[in-house]
Amino acid sequence: MTDYEFTLKFSLPDAGANPDDHVEALAEAGCTDALVGIGQAGRIALAFTRRAKSAFEAVSSALRHVRKAIPDAVLVEASPDFVGLTDVAEIAGFTRQNMRKLMLGNGATFPAALHEGKPALWHLATVLTWLKERQGRAVDAVLLEIAKANMTVNIAKEARQLPGATLPRNLERLFA
Amino acid sequence: MARRPHPKPDVEAALRYAEFEGWRIEPGGSHAWGKMYCPYNDDECRCGEFCIACIWSTPKNAGNHARHLRRVVDHCTTHRKHTSTEP
Repeated sequence: MTDYEFTLKFSLPDAGANPDDHVEALAEAGCTDALVGIGQAGRIALAFTRRAKSAFEAVSSALRHVRKAIPDAVLVEASPDFVGLTDVAEIAGFTRQNMRKLMLGNGATFPAALHEGKPALWHLATVLTWLKERQGRAVDAVLLEIAKANMTVNIAKEARQLPGATLPRNLERLFA
Repeated sequence: MARRPHPKPDVEAALRYAEFEGWRIEPGGSHAWGKMYCPYNDDECRCGEFCIACIWSTPKNAGNHARHLRRVVDHCTTHRKHTSTEP
């Protein structure tokens, strides 16, 4: 069993609900391994340290528990996943300049950004995998595993918006 | 200090740290022991959802809970002191 750290953010369609009721329901559903944030109206965030056999098991059980407590909560994002260069540098222990140099100097192999704006965004798992496999850098295995699990959850969440899309059952179960 | 202490020493230490950084602690709740409120909870604040963080009476792991509480406070003060350098 491993402790996985990740944060799940949800939007709450029922703006009239009392956040305190949600918090009590989350405790009943087994989410006292998360710090719950209710600082923004219509949102709730849970920063988990969850012990599980795998990162995917940690995130999927957390999603299940939140849905049990707040059935109409809609997942906004599982993090860490979407990252800018500054985030990656911080996580990998580089300065931002060094990270940028690594990226620019390895244009052929550096993972493509999922958004090339300001800031540009990547999936953390793709950059960590690149650092590990192409650069031979030491990468935290637990962090890489949770980044992959979050990427799976976030992509599955987006894919559900495609008309007629059918997700694999183990992913569809995360949302319904 | 008038506030009653949290039963878990790790959590109580984190709450004192938060108070030192200007956060307000308010007891209340059943499973929830109380809440802590960011002193900069306004449009400029970057803590987002964790501007109001819920403190459990009996967290699954008190050490982890205390660490998360401290992290929220540190994250907030970091953003307060440094403006983002992301272009």
